[in-house]
Amino acid sequence: MKSVVVFPERCIGCMQCMFECAVAHSQSKNFNAIYEETPPKPRIHVYSAKENYAFPSKCRHCEPAPCLEACPTSAIRREEGIVFVDVERCINCGMCAMVCPFAVVRFHIDWKRIEKLPVSYKCDGCIERVKEDEIPACVEACKVGALRYGDVNELIEEAEKRIASTYSPIFERREEVPENYKIWLELRG
Amino acid sequence: MHSIHQDALRIIKKLDDVGIELVWNRLENQEPQCGYCSLGLSCRNCTMGPCRIDPFGEGPQKGVCGADADVIVARNLARAVASGAASHSDHGRDLVEVLSKAGMVKAYTIKDEDKLKRLAEEYGIDTTKKSIVEIASELADAMLEDFGSKKERIQLINRAPRKRIEIWENLGVIPRGIDREVVEMMHRTHMGVDNEPANILLQCLRTSLGDGFGGSMIATEVSDILFGTPEPKTSTINLATLKENEVNIILHGHNPLVSDAVVEAAMREDLVKLAKKAGAEGINLAGLCCTGNEVLMRKGIPMAGNHLIQELVIGTGVADVVVVDYQCIMPAIVDVAKCYHTAVVTTSPKAKFKDAMHIEFTPENAHEKAVEVVKLAIERFKQRNRDLIKIPDVKPVELMTGFSVEAVVKALGGSLKPLIDAIKSGSIKGVVGSVGCNNPKVTQDKSHTTLARKLIENDVLVVDTGCAAVADAKVGLKMPEAAKLAGNGLREVCESLGIPPILHFGSCVDNSRILVALAALANEIGVDISDLPAAGAAMEWYSEKAIAIGTYFVASGLLVVLGVPPPIFGSKFVIDVLTNKVESLTGGKFVVEPDAERAADIIVKHIEEKRRKLGI
Repeated sequence: MKSVVVFPERCIGCMQCMFECAVAHSQSKNFNAIYEETPPKPRIHVYSAKENYAFPSKCRHCEPAPCLEACPTSAIRREEGIVFVDVERCINCGMCAMVCPFAVVRFHIDWKRIEKLPVSYKCDGCIERVKEDEIPACVEACKVGALRYGDVNELIEEAEKRIASTYSPIFERREEVPENYKIWLELRG
Repeated sequence: MHSIHQDALRIIKKLDDVGIELVWNRLENQEPQCGYCSLGLSCRNCTMGPCRIDPFGEGPQKGVCGADADVIVARNLARAVASGAASHSDHGRDLVEVLSKAGMVKAYTIKDEDKLKRLAEEYGIDTTKKSIVEIASELADAMLEDFGSKKERIQLINRAPRKRIEIWENLGVIPRGIDREVVEMMHRTHMGVDNEPANILLQCLRTSLGDGFGGSMIATEVSDILFGTPEPKTSTINLATLKENEVNIILHGHNPLVSDAVVEAAMREDLVKLAKKAGAEGINLAGLCCTGNEVLMRKGIPMAGNHLIQELVIGTGVADVVVVDYQCIMPAIVDVAKCYHTAVVTTSPKAKFKDAMHIEFTPENAHEKAVEVVKLAIERFKQRNRDLIKIPDVKPVELMTGFSVEAVVKALGGSLKPLIDAIKSGSIKGVVGSVGCNNPKVTQDKSHTTLARKLIENDVLVVDTGCAAVADAKVGLKMPEAAKLAGNGLREVCESLGIPPILHFGSCVDNSRILVALAALANEIGVDISDLPAAGAAMEWYSEKAIAIGTYFVASGLLVVLGVPPPIFGSKFVIDVLTNKVESLTGGKFVVEPDAERAADIIVKHIEEKRRKLGI
C-alpha cells in the first residue's frame, strides 16, 4: 500500500511542505488561500531536532490508530490505510489529541464544516488528491526527498540500499561519516 | 500550451523529441515554487535570518530583527525596483560613455546631429561655435552628472507637466541622481534602516522615476543620437527569418552598442565575399529581445522573436553565432548551443556566461571585434550539422516599425494636434502602452496579443515595446492592414495616415518614449498625465526591470495592469497601497489581472472614466 514515508535526515527545513499542505486543503487551492474567510493551516509541521537538524512531523496513520479507537463519535475513520477526520461528526472533545503518541492532532476551524467551530485537525493523507491520482501535496513540495510517496517497503529498501552503499570495512577511519550514521551516533548519545 | 505560435511550437516539439531541456521543463521542475517567496514573505537580507513569515498565522509573524510581513514585502519589492532601475540605467550609462567618444572612435559617430543639439540645449549647453564632437562630449559629461549625487534633480524630469512635478515635489520623490536613488534604496533596505513600509514604497517611486525620466530616457535619447532616431519602415519577424543558405548571426540582449557594430560589419563587402567563399549565399542577421528591437527600429533588421524564443532559435540548427550583450539572456542558451554548432559569444565584461566564448567589446575596439564575430559566424557556418537543421515551415510575418515620438509627430504633419483632435472627437478613445516580457507561466504571447486586439477593437491606440511589441508584430498586428481589426474610429485614423493600429515604440528602455509622448500630450492639452485617457499593461512580465517600469508608470499617474502577480501578496498593507491608496497620491495605481480579456475591460472602463472627467 502506498503512503507518505519520512526521511528526516534529508530534511533541510524549508517548510515548503507546510505551505503546500495548507494550500492543498484550502478552498481556492492557490495562494489566495491566505485571504480566505477561514484560512487553512498546515497539517504537517517542521521543527528543530538536535543540532538544528530539521524534523518534519505529521500523522503516521497508525494501525491500530489510538485516535480512531478513542473517538467517542466515530468521527475518525480509516479508508485505504488513511486515518482521517469527518469534520461534521467531530465534537472537539480532544480525546484524539490526548492519546496521539506523536502529538500531531490540533484543533482549528475547518472551512468544510458548516458551523464555524474548531475541529480535530490532522493530516488526511491528501485523500482527495490521492483519489484523483495525484500525490500528497507535501511530497510534491519536497525537493530534497525527505518526504516520499510510494510503497513503504519499496521506499525503505531504497533507503536501505543507499545506506548499505556507503558501508566499507574502513568505515570508522573515513573522514566523511554518512549522514544516517552520524544521526544514529548522536541519538545513541 | 507553451506558445500561440506555430514556429515556436514546432521547434519546442523538435527539441522535446531529442530531450533538450527548455524553460518550460525547468519551470515544471521548480514547481510548486516557494510559497513564502511567491508572496514576498521571505527575507535574506541578513544572517540573523533567513526568515519567513507564516501567512497562515500559525507560525512566526516576525523575522529575527522584528520586521513584520509589511516591512519584509516592501523591502523585497524595493530591492526589485532598485535592480530594475539599475539595469536600465547602467545600460544608459554605457551609451553615455560612448557618446563622450563618438566621432573619435571608429565604430561610433553622431547619426542625429539635430537631436544631439536639442538635447545639449535642454541640458543648458551652449552649442554655438562648437564642433559636433565637442557638443557630444559636453552632453555626455552633463548626463553623467545625472547619475551622480551633486544635483537636486535629474535634468529630464523637467519634461513632465508642471502639475506632475508639483505632485512629486510634495511627495518628496523627485530623483536627485539616478545612481543615488538606487544606492539609497539598497541602504534603506539593509537591516535596521527604513522600517516604515509606506516610506519604503515612496522611495520605490523615486527610484523608478530615476529610471523612467533618467536612465531609460538617457538610454533612448543617446541611442537615437548615436544610431539615428527611428523612422517608419517595414521588416519581417519569426523564426523563418533565419535562412538555411546564409550565415545567420543572432543579436541578443539590450544595448545597441554591440548589435549595431555587428550589423555594420555584416554588411561589409569583403565579409559577404568571405561568407560566399564558405558556401553561403550571404550573411543574415536576426534580432532577439530588445537589442533586436533596437536594430529593428533603426535598421529594419528582421526579428527572430522575443524572450521565450531565445533557446528555440538555436534549435533551428542554423544559428551560427548568438552574440549577446546583457539582460534577459538565459544561461540555458549556452547549454542548448552545446547540442549544436552554435557559438554563444558574450561581449560585455559585466556579463560573462560559463562555457560561452568571450569577445570583449570596448568603444575603441568595437569595429574590429564586430568583424571578428562575423568571421566566427562564417567559420561556424561550415561546421553545421545538416541532420539537425529544421527551420519552421512558416512564412515570415511582415511588420511596420520605427515609431519614435519624432516619427509620430512627423506622420501627423508636424504637431500632436491631429492626435489630440482624434482623441477629443472620440475616434481614438485613448492610448495604452503595452510593454514587458514573456513569462513561461503564461502561454507565450497569448495575453499580449489578446489584450492588444481587444483594445484596438475598442478604438484604443496601442503603443508597444519590448517583448510585447514582438508578440503583437508576430500575429500581424503591426501592418497598416491590421487597421481593419480596429474599431471604426481608430481604423479611419490609421487608414488615413497609413499606419498600423499598434505602433512599435522600441525596446524596453524606450518605454521612456511613452513617457515623453504622454508628457507632450498632457502639456499640449494643458492637463496632467494622470488626466489623460491612457494606461499601461505588462501582461506577461517576469523581470525586475518590468517592476521598475510599472512603478514609474504608476508614479507618472497611469493605471498599470499586471498579468502576472508580483511577489507582494503576503502584505495586505502593500497590496492596499499599490492597488488603491497610491491613486490618491499620484493618480495611478496597479491592478493585477491575469485574464487579458478582463484586463482590457478594466483599461477601457478606466479610459472612459478619464474621458468623462475631461468632458470629452
